Amino acid sequence: MIADFLAHGVGGRQDLPVPFGYALAGALVALAATFIILTRSWPRSRLRGAAAGRPLPPGLEKVLDAPATRIALRVLGLAFAGWVLAEMLFGPQLGRDNAAPGTLYVWIWVCMPLLSVLLGPIWRLISPMRTLHAGLSRLAGQGPDRGILTMPQRWGMWPGAAALLAFVWLELVPPDRGSVPAVRLAFALYAAFTLLGALLFGSGWFARADPFEVYSTLAARLSPLGRRDDGRLVLRNPFDGLDATPVVPGLAAVVIVLLGSTAFDSLSSAPQWISLTQGSGSKLLWDTGGLLGFVGVLGACYAVCSRRPREFAHSILPIAVGYVLAHYYSLAIIEGQRTFILAVRGGRDTGLVVLDTTLANPGFVAVLQVVAVVAGHITGAVAAHDRATRVYPPGKVMAGQLPLLLLMLAYTYAGLTLLFAA
Amino acid sequence: MHALNRITVLFLLVALALTACSDTPPATPPSASTPPSASTAPSQARAVEITIRGRNVSPPPGRVEVAKGEKVRLVVHSDTGDEVHVHGYDLTAKVGPGNDAVIEFAATQTGLFEVETHESGLVLTQLAVR
Repeated sequence: MIADFLAHGVGGRQDLPVPFGYALAGALVALAATFIILTRSWPRSRLRGAAAGRPLPPGLEKVLDAPATRIALRVLGLAFAGWVLAEMLFGPQLGRDNAAPGTLYVWIWVCMPLLSVLLGPIWRLISPMRTLHAGLSRLAGQGPDRGILTMPQRWGMWPGAAALLAFVWLELVPPDRGSVPAVRLAFALYAAFTLLGALLFGSGWFARADPFEVYSTLAARLSPLGRRDDGRLVLRNPFDGLDATPVVPGLAAVVIVLLGSTAFDSLSSAPQWISLTQGSGSKLLWDTGGLLGFVGVLGACYAVCSRRPREFAHSILPIAVGYVLAHYYSLAIIEGQRTFILAVRGGRDTGLVVLDTTLANPGFVAVLQVVAVVAGHITGAVAAHDRATRVYPPGKVMAGQLPLLLLMLAYTYAGLTLLFAA
Repeated sequence: MHALNRITVLFLLVALALTACSDTPPATPPSASTPPSASTAPSQARAVEITIRGRNVSPPPGRVEVAKGEKVRLVVHSDTGDEVHVHGYDLTAKVGPGNDAVIEFAATQTGLFEVETHESGLVLTQLAVR
């Protein structure tokens, strides 16, 4: 389970309004039907990507884009970083009494990307490491985008994929991951990795390698708020935002790491997996192998079925986001609150934290899990279909994307089965 | 058109076949969440008894369904000295040979909580409070 001291809500098979088998069948039929409707009624590409969108009212756009707004966000990010640092150094040193582990694993890792889906690339705007790097560049008297070396284009988002894999390993595998020293080490490594990379390659490093920025910016592809190719802030169809995802090397790897790690988290919190692995005495090896195995198998299946992994990677993104929402929603409600209460208390022990779980009641959680998984896959199928109408010749559009659709059906089946495993 | 119709039928068959498999192990009947003890004697606590031998936990880690507000009485036997911890409720008790850990509490907080040992890091069971 994600940093084992964190609690998910309950929302299992018995909490669904219909038997689980019906929900599963409905999910598969909905996805297959979407594909059939698309092949009949969507013969040519309809999405316009970065060219689409209706500009925000000029007044609002001016406020959002004003230097003062941007500086305020940066100051907010720095204050946040300063508070986390103080909490780690001077707060309670027992993991479950300190707000820093929850800040990392719940606020930054779960809540921030989900908020990015609503509001846009938040981390990029508040990133304290970006601000720090910009400040250092100014002191050195050079532009932040210039580094000592030029980053090879073919690296693409691979540094980000590697950093994300390292992070999900920390989040899911080591037994002490919820302790204050582990979280301190994680933040220290994160700061060193992002800052040194940016000093070497310029500020472009953040967009390609900062795991939180990579995740947040990709999640923001699904946001109704976006920037059009002419620079205007626009309200747009999330499908257009998704379609405008830059096709770079490593994009598929990033998305597969997100999907594979979430799936592995479902598996590793199932009692069956715990019984199987903890008696062996080498749980660390089992869990590491399980995580790498999930990411590896999902990635290999995707590479084979998509045929053009890079061009269709954006269609897996909504699937990953839907699955993250399904899996972590109740945790975000429960542990987000707990972290907030710990933060406000400031280390004073005032007894057990009492939480409001109205928003995480079992019936709602169970239905949300099914809806999020299905919506993610249907969004992915639409995105893939529109892309297919452009990359395949007219007669081969359906045949070309059939393997990817079969894979999505398999993901839906496996994803829902894992979510409702216990 | 014909090809598409054939594919439609194929998908439906695959979907049905897949879900048919998943239906065979019957889902936990709703009555399982109401413990028999609670219905017969409301004052009695829900008893969960676990034995640790080395790294072996019996019964193997599973999920205990508990109704919100229900009383839980957790008894742990262990052949080595350790500390038992109920997450979420943050309750701990020492355990060792000849010294069982007994933790009694009312499950007032809904959620999925692990019961663990601190030294050996074993998951003993999960409490699903709903």
